[in-house]
Amino acid sequence: DRIQAIRDLPMSFKEKKHISTKQTLKLWQGAMKSIGGKFGTSVLTYFVFLKWLLMFNIFSFLVNFGFVTIPLLVYKQTPNISQNVNNVPQNVTFRGLEILTGAGYFKYTVMYYGSYSNESLVGYNMQLAYFFTIAVYMVLCGISLIFMAVNFKDNYVLADSASNSAWQLLCTWDFSVTNEKAVKQRRNNLCVQLKESLSEMAQQERITVSEKLKHYGINFGCWLLSTSLAFGCAASIYYEAKTLLVPFVVSLINLVIPLFYSLFNKFEHYSNVFLKMSILSVLCYYWMSKVPAKGSGWESMVGQSLYRLVLFDFLFLMLGSFFGEFLSVIGTKLIPRMGVPEFDVARNVLELIYSQTLAIGIYFSPLLPAMQILKFFILFYLKKSQVSLTHNCQPPRRSGRAAQMQTIFIFLLFFPFFVGALSIVAYTAWLTPSKSCGPFRGLNNSFSAVDVWIGDLKNITGSQWVVEIYNNVIRSEIFYFLITLIIVIIYILWQVTNGRKELIRRLRQQIVN
Amino acid sequence: MGTTASQLSKESLSEYQSNPFKERICQVFSTSEQKDGSLTFEDFLDLLSAFSDSATLEIKSHYAFRIFDFDDDGTLDCADLEKLVNCLTGETNDAKLSSTEMKQLISNILEESDIDKDGTVNLSEFQHVISRSPDFVSSFKIVL
Repeated sequence: DRIQAIRDLPMSFKEKKHISTKQTLKLWQGAMKSIGGKFGTSVLTYFVFLKWLLMFNIFSFLVNFGFVTIPLLVYKQTPNISQNVNNVPQNVTFRGLEILTGAGYFKYTVMYYGSYSNESLVGYNMQLAYFFTIAVYMVLCGISLIFMAVNFKDNYVLADSASNSAWQLLCTWDFSVTNEKAVKQRRNNLCVQLKESLSEMAQQERITVSEKLKHYGINFGCWLLSTSLAFGCAASIYYEAKTLLVPFVVSLINLVIPLFYSLFNKFEHYSNVFLKMSILSVLCYYWMSKVPAKGSGWESMVGQSLYRLVLFDFLFLMLGSFFGEFLSVIGTKLIPRMGVPEFDVARNVLELIYSQTLAIGIYFSPLLPAMQILKFFILFYLKKSQVSLTHNCQPPRRSGRAAQMQTIFIFLLFFPFFVGALSIVAYTAWLTPSKSCGPFRGLNNSFSAVDVWIGDLKNITGSQWVVEIYNNVIRSEIFYFLITLIIVIIYILWQVTNGRKELIRRLRQQIVN
Repeated sequence: MGTTASQLSKESLSEYQSNPFKERICQVFSTSEQKDGSLTFEDFLDLLSAFSDSATLEIKSHYAFRIFDFDDDGTLDCADLEKLVNCLTGETNDAKLSSTEMKQLISNILEESDIDKDGTVNLSEFQHVISRSPDFVSSFKIVL
């Protein structure tokens, strides 16, 4: 009867033909399957994340382009151009160098904030469109980052401190690995891991108190060293922020220091993120405090800096993977005992998050997603070749040992994003846009665009309720009250889950006894 | 895939020749009377649905238990565990565990998961252990 039900499915022959073409239309499906087959689920989640980021950037590029850039292009074509639109001066032509520096010709194109007009074009309010598009983008970005990270956390092996146990090792055989060599590799690895865990268990009974103290001392020393290094880098960036050299230095630091940190295995992940956070926050602070004093079109300058940052980040990622591959190939030939290098999924995912966080700069440069699309597309093929060239790519040996890593990992993923988002919010609420360029020229701060719109809405009889909501909810104290209420509710729910976990633990103990 | 009488034998599942559990998987999902591990279409569908993304932890752990139970007696005793470890480790001499290591490993496993101390791991103890490892669900997966 089951077979009968399947045969009754109304699929004509044509539709069956279409199934196979639909599969080829899905981007990279064959490549992902072969990666999963050879390297297992955890490496596959990295590539799934990369593909997802690419789709997100394509979507945001289309949204931005459609709502913000196309009206401007249309406006530029219409014959009644007023003085407010910045045209390209006669003596600036396109030279190849612009791709690298983002300055010069690009300054006058739609790439940057500066060339967007503040006029209302045929009833289409440019200011409002710009503001709301960017706001919606930020919210979507935040929500989807949360969603993806939760997914990622579930799939990636972040076991708790009992991950050494033999059962865990045995039960997590990755059934999606189909390549014969990879399977053999994993079996050998598993054997080694089992032997190691056996010897570790035997050893653990023999550690004395003094050894433990020494252990803690070394850990503390490493932590101190790494934080001072991070502070030193941040300070140097602050003093050098005026020059073109900044993105170069930033990317260099981002590349070199993690290699240095990988010597201290334990803190690698937090230190990297801490370093990146501090660099980003220093840059944000510099841009917000010092640059507005400079003069006209400073938003375009910031846009250019961001463009350069993104570009250099990409270049250094490429360099990093070539360099890493090269080193590893040479290293394995010269020092066979060193073992085959692994594809560190966590570090690569953090790098992706960092690259995506740079896209906060969409406020200053609306076409930044285009760059990101290109970057991620090329990165996919690069990483794929890196993964397959490090021959016999091993599954990660130590799968997330630190016991507290679960919650801290998620927290560290979002902190850079919130720093960027908060600084953008601060910018819109407090700083005055520059007077001679950009869609918000002439206003006190960017948020006043919404004020103006609400003022206009008062005259339209149908939308009184929007004005009411705006005046009573967002502008008054009720807003803060609502926010605190939401935070309190979240806290209560969290406590309830903790309590339930405790209950489960106690019940289990009762079963055992 | 033919008529209801057609069977899929172990050899034709060529994509999974390298999976160390290929024979056990066929045995577990096969409902044929000859007990030769051949699969009908419905058995194949059962297999795919058990290994799919939408199967719950309970279903997966149930089938995992049956796959690991090499002698089909409903519990995992020392012989089953030893076969399991040998299946998952290499076949060459240096990739195998020696007999002392094996005994140590098995006693560790039993100590950790045998709650009622009867020397074997039954289904509920197995499910209890599985529920503590967060990556079981994502690795017990076959996607076509």
